[in-house]
Amino acid sequence: MSIFSIGLSGLNAAQNALNTTSNNISNVYTPGYNREVTILGEGRGDGGVRVNDIQRQFNQYVANQLNSATSSSSALSAYQNQISQIDNLLADRDAGLAPLMQNFFSSLEDLAGAPSDPAARQGVLGTAQTLTAQFRAFDSYLQDMQQGINGQIRDEVIQINNTTEQLAMLNREIALARARTGEAPNGLLNQRDQLVAELSERMDVRLVIQDGKSYNISLPNGQPLVSGTNHYKLEAMDSPNDPQRTILGYRDSGGSLVALPENTVKGGTLGGLMAFRAETLDKTQNQIGQLAVSLAVGFNEQHAKGTGLDGEPGGDFFNIAGPTVFGHAHNIADIAVEASFDATDIGALRATDYSIRFLDDATAEITVKQGGERFTQPLDGDLLSFGGITLSFTDAPQAGDRFEVQPVRRAAQGFETAIEGTDQIAAGLSGATGDNENALALQGLQDNMLVGGRASFNQAYASMVSDVGNKTNVVQVNLEARQGLTDQLRAVQQSESGVNLDEEAANLLRYQQFYAANARVIDTASTIFDTILGLRS
Amino acid sequence: MRISTVTMYEQSINSLNRQQGDFLKVGQQIATGRRVVNPSDDPQAASRAVAVSQAKAVTQQYADSRISARNTLAQTESVLNSVGDAITSAKTLLVQAASDTLSDADRQSVASELRGVYETLIGQANATDGNGRYLFGGYQDDSPPFARTDGEGVSGVNYVGDGNAREQRIDASRLMAVAENGKTIFQSVPSGAGYVARAELGDGARNEGSLTFTSGPSRVDPNDPAFGGSFTLQFDVDDTGSAVVRAVDAAGDNVLDAEGTPILNAPYAPGQTISVGGVSITLEGTPANGDQIQLRPANADDANQDLFKSLKDAIDVLEMDQQGTAENRALFRNTINTVMRELDNNLDNVLTVRASVGARLNELDVVDSVAGNRMLNYEQTLSDLIDLDYAQAISEYSLRQVGLQAAQKAFVDIKSMSLFDYLR
Repeated sequence: MSIFSIGLSGLNAAQNALNTTSNNISNVYTPGYNREVTILGEGRGDGGVRVNDIQRQFNQYVANQLNSATSSSSALSAYQNQISQIDNLLADRDAGLAPLMQNFFSSLEDLAGAPSDPAARQGVLGTAQTLTAQFRAFDSYLQDMQQGINGQIRDEVIQINNTTEQLAMLNREIALARARTGEAPNGLLNQRDQLVAELSERMDVRLVIQDGKSYNISLPNGQPLVSGTNHYKLEAMDSPNDPQRTILGYRDSGGSLVALPENTVKGGTLGGLMAFRAETLDKTQNQIGQLAVSLAVGFNEQHAKGTGLDGEPGGDFFNIAGPTVFGHAHNIADIAVEASFDATDIGALRATDYSIRFLDDATAEITVKQGGERFTQPLDGDLLSFGGITLSFTDAPQAGDRFEVQPVRRAAQGFETAIEGTDQIAAGLSGATGDNENALALQGLQDNMLVGGRASFNQAYASMVSDVGNKTNVVQVNLEARQGLTDQLRAVQQSESGVNLDEEAANLLRYQQFYAANARVIDTASTIFDTILGLRS
Repeated sequence: MRISTVTMYEQSINSLNRQQGDFLKVGQQIATGRRVVNPSDDPQAASRAVAVSQAKAVTQQYADSRISARNTLAQTESVLNSVGDAITSAKTLLVQAASDTLSDADRQSVASELRGVYETLIGQANATDGNGRYLFGGYQDDSPPFARTDGEGVSGVNYVGDGNAREQRIDASRLMAVAENGKTIFQSVPSGAGYVARAELGDGARNEGSLTFTSGPSRVDPNDPAFGGSFTLQFDVDDTGSAVVRAVDAAGDNVLDAEGTPILNAPYAPGQTISVGGVSITLEGTPANGDQIQLRPANADDANQDLFKSLKDAIDVLEMDQQGTAENRALFRNTINTVMRELDNNLDNVLTVRASVGARLNELDVVDSVAGNRMLNYEQTLSDLIDLDYAQAISEYSLRQVGLQAAQKAFVDIKSMSLFDYLR
């Protein structure tokens, strides 16, 4: 081996090292880029240097940890993002429901003081309208959030399908490249790992590396999303027991669409949204609805005991939307169900949804969705009464038929003042102009335990504020802790795989010198050669 | 440990973000003056604040209620004050009229003065509050509670209101009657007011004879078993002019005298004092056959408790042409005697009602001051729960400011340190 060849191998190695360094510098801010190191080795047998490898600094173990931490923190972040909207809604002290309820009952006090005074009567109507309008506004705010979540789930699913498709493609390309050159290009590997990281931000997935080469991705329940070069699609679909709710469906290899239980996905933005919807949004909406129904039904009942100035018995003061019932898409027949509130048992009304499954044509098994307890209830004729509501089935249900009941979910949407004329307000029992007995009784409702039989209107609202406040607080604290952990893992990952510009600057100097030194070797070889050539002359 | 350039940048940005977030949070607290802006800032405090603000709102409701209650009660008291004065002046007039030396013309002039008092009283009884609502009609506050009636003599009045008294909730556990109805004020007599005699038949028609009662009725034996009931002294006069008296109770049964023998066809002579059921009355003059004296406890259902009827009776006899007959004189004298006693009872009643109204006004003041303290407590609690401690917040604000500035400085310094700067 000549000095020339040795110098040349050095020049070559220096060029490679400079390439790698430049590549590192140019990709310092590229997401998913893993730092590369030129591994040099001795030339075989007769000296010189050779480039053994351009090594990608990637640690699968750390990457997995980071991905799982990212899943958790992006779930919490999505949750926090959503719940803080409710937190903000309840923060407004002047437009919140509590002051408006207070104004309403204060106007009833005015009515008791001057039962036939047109101004006092108008005051009652006015505050009632403001109150009901605010209930409706709360409901539509929360319903907008429901729809927003439906939309976000669809978006997430599209992104997830794109990612899994790309992953399957990359598996294929990497396999081909390996077959061609025996080595996988670092760029493709980086891209694939970056896709897994992106996927982890959207949902929690399981990664299994087959033969150390091909990435197989599956849902937490084991259903595959990417298997070698194949990928399987998720779909956003209407829930079979609530057409207004978007859930995840899985298109299996046979092509059929299966609805996934809502708690299948727990991590990532998707998991955060699903958890927020199931734990907080549904509950808050139900609590508002329960409050509206308790107020409307309780008030109407007392109002009916009085007599208006027009001499008529007190009619409904408030209107309220009735319970919502959805028949399961797979029921044997589509049975219409009429649902109403049971004024005599309104204390049993709870802020929850129910699912009903008929064991036979006369017995229903009812599951309380927020709480989980389960009980059976026989059908009374075509009526099924429980929890402050009565369902009336137009046809006999069959064994196995399922229904989803939302007694109060959208009740506040239909909460409005029913009476129009001030004369219809039944302030007295007798209808005499100076009779204020019913007004006193109506005013007294604010202290009665009308919500769920154990809370006043205000207490119910306060407990909602406390629920949302606590949950928001817990999520914020968890998010901060999680985020800290994720940041730490990211620093660990970066410390191995990230580029440090100072280091690269030093490398640049180093390899430049390396190059110059090798050039000098060639120059020296040439001088030596010239010396030998010059011997003749 | 190797630190990647991205990590340096990200960590600086993270700490900037965190410092900025904390700084803004304190800034927001200072701007709103509240420690708890969102429920999540302090969920327990936020939900307790909802409960305390409800307690505050309810306390305010009762305070408002007391304002209107005080208004109504004060008006009632002022009217009752005038009513008491009017009854007193009616009594003075009657004392004046009772004198035997007055001519028919003199009595006419007293009568016209009394009419003035009568009309004043009717006006007071139909008084309205500031909103045109009648004070004393019970729940029927949209029309005058005392309606005029037709009939002989001066026009009478009839109570068309009801027996209800409007109540208001002036405190959590106190429902206070804030109005009195006309029946309670003008047509009631307090219990224990003693007996009132009326020289008239059971249906109110006049006696034909010249029988008068000069003294009594007075209570002599409250332990008499029949005491407390209503009695009728009934006179039978035969053709010879000799009169006998019998006493019956409300059921028509004979009443026993003090010795236990029934008062039945006992001979009567003018100047005689008759004791019946523990009550004694001294009678003068000559009864006609069938004449009666009614002796009733003043607050009995069948006794006249109506102030306006008493006054109407007095005005009617004052305006009567006595024609110099002993019978008419007896009617006049009996009526004036009866009415004097009835007016006394009515005045007592009005004063009692007025005292009760006054007591309620006092109670309102007491409740006001108690509730005022309570309100202060609620406000203090609410403030402790959610309001900001400015001293603490401002020192926190400065601290956060320093923290943020330090983070900014650190960021700039770190970003400006690069080996590339030394490569020339």
